[in-house]
Amino acid sequence: MSNQSDLVLSRPYLTKAQLQRCQKYSIPDRRAYNQKRLLVFKYLGQLCVQLKLPRKVLEATMYFYHRYHAFNKFETEMCYDVGTSCLFLSCKQVETFKRIGEVCSTALKVRNVPRVTPDILDAFKKRVIQMELRVLETCSFDYRINNEVHIDEFIIKIGRELSFSYDCCRLAWLIAFDVLKLELLITVPSHTIALAVLKLACELLDEIKWPNVRYNLFETDAPSFNEAYFDILNFYINVFDACDLKDHDAVRDLNLKIETFIEIKKNAGLEYGLTVNPIALDKDDYVSKERNFGVKERRYVLKKDSLLEESVSKKRSISDVS
Amino acid sequence: MTVRSTAEDYTKEKKAGEGTYAVVYLGTKKSTGRSIAVKEIKTSQFKDGLDMSALREVKFLQELRHINVIELIDVFMASDNLNLVLEFLPADLELIIKDTSIMFSPADIKSWILMTLRGVHHCHRNFILHRDLKPNNLLLAPDGQLKIADFGLARLMGSPQEVLTSNVVTRWYRAPELLFAAKHYTSAVDIWSVGVIFAELMLRIPYLPGKDDVDQINVTFRALGTPTDKEWQEVSSFSNYNKIQIYPPPSREELRRRFIAATENALDLIDGMMIMNPANRWDTVRCLQSPYFQELPEATLPQDLPKLNK
Repeated sequence: MSNQSDLVLSRPYLTKAQLQRCQKYSIPDRRAYNQKRLLVFKYLGQLCVQLKLPRKVLEATMYFYHRYHAFNKFETEMCYDVGTSCLFLSCKQVETFKRIGEVCSTALKVRNVPRVTPDILDAFKKRVIQMELRVLETCSFDYRINNEVHIDEFIIKIGRELSFSYDCCRLAWLIAFDVLKLELLITVPSHTIALAVLKLACELLDEIKWPNVRYNLFETDAPSFNEAYFDILNFYINVFDACDLKDHDAVRDLNLKIETFIEIKKNAGLEYGLTVNPIALDKDDYVSKERNFGVKERRYVLKKDSLLEESVSKKRSISDVS
Repeated sequence: MTVRSTAEDYTKEKKAGEGTYAVVYLGTKKSTGRSIAVKEIKTSQFKDGLDMSALREVKFLQELRHINVIELIDVFMASDNLNLVLEFLPADLELIIKDTSIMFSPADIKSWILMTLRGVHHCHRNFILHRDLKPNNLLLAPDGQLKIADFGLARLMGSPQEVLTSNVVTRWYRAPELLFAAKHYTSAVDIWSVGVIFAELMLRIPYLPGKDDVDQINVTFRALGTPTDKEWQEVSSFSNYNKIQIYPPPSREELRRRFIAATENALDLIDGMMIMNPANRWDTVRCLQSPYFQELPEATLPQDLPKLNK
């Protein structure tokens, strides 16, 4: 085993089916995971407020958090550490660096950990730092994601392009906060999410008709857009109580209820999104095989060409697992 | 896909140096015979985990592919250590400038500046600010190609409202807006650095060698004149503007005396790269289209450029 290396092609986004296949190994109890995910999100949100971090940090954090649990076992007692580590890393990623001491002491305060001794703090810092590389590995060290433009910024850019009102963009921005709780973050890119929340905002405000958008102009496509749009709608329909939108002062006049979203969905046409051929899914080692920790060396490439080059470069390949 | 070990494909023949966040080894890629440098990132020794510089280096070099930017060949984890494999570049421009036994011509200078500008242009068109351009970070390949290295301070061009730190770029190469501690700046900071490097290549001594941050302001404005509101709107609103001494800008004649070997077009280029107001400073496109690169002598071919004697 020692003379082998796992060559991994970065795949920053996974369809729902692919994600579920990954989680078959990493998340044994889906319900517990979902409950904890919301709690961790709340905790991370509070941490961002305390540390005065912008929303993009929370977005990057949740991306890392979802990615981590797609490839690493979910453990209830570890999830706050994972969340903190993702946040610490996100601060570096989006250039809003915070010292580990500040992040960890604030984190312990937010979690109301009683009697924090220097030893407890040090042990916590160590755990957070140790997890950093693990988190980056689940993203294949792919820095193209969560790098510069985030959902909130895309809302402004696209909203301006489509000449939407300030109110519409603001509502989309509020909806986008709820989206950060969803695994949608690792399913479609931020600009597609921004487009979907803008559509939903338009429909909720009922003041402007959603224009006939040519998706390719926004570097996306109909299946990706619909994946995002229906996923967000389903979130409001299925777990309305868990949403933050309903409690916001700015939307009080809209009198939002589950029925509002059911009605929108009724008029939205056939629900569809990104699909994967089940046979292809079975053959896809990336999602269908548990990570082999026997391979001590793991290598990451961003382009398919590099992977192909590697497999063609004769004699180098020992065995192609797939 | 499981393939033969990457670590085993790279030999680590010699420890080349140890930086704050990494140990650099020189070696060879066995399968191709190519010389490489392996940067083993120290992860555990740092209080703040994975160093920002290491992170930025991977982040930007992963996407940049250009003949005048150092190539990141590989990223791999071995025994829980992060390793970056970079192309091996044996010399840098600082060594060439300092080596008094090396003679170089105006055509050689033109070639180095041209390659620097091409590399910087590639960074800027990908919205990346290097923020640490200096001769020491302009490495030279055995075939003479110049490659921009050390992206440890680089960052993406932020949104207009984003606050950036002005504590970037090595002192002597720092643009006036950085000396004024501006919180918002653009790719013009890199152009200024290239201008200072250009001057240094012509003079063969550092052009604006400030002893400390305060002295740097004085040295810069004494050499190039203190900017006023007339040419740089609201420059006087920077908090430390009132403390600085007002110097007149140098006349063209003075610049001719300063850079004896420079042609009029070369002086125009250096002047354009070192315009005080960053909004008026030339960008890479304008620099690359400068008549200086069209006039004779032609830039020396990279393979014909002077090399280190040792």
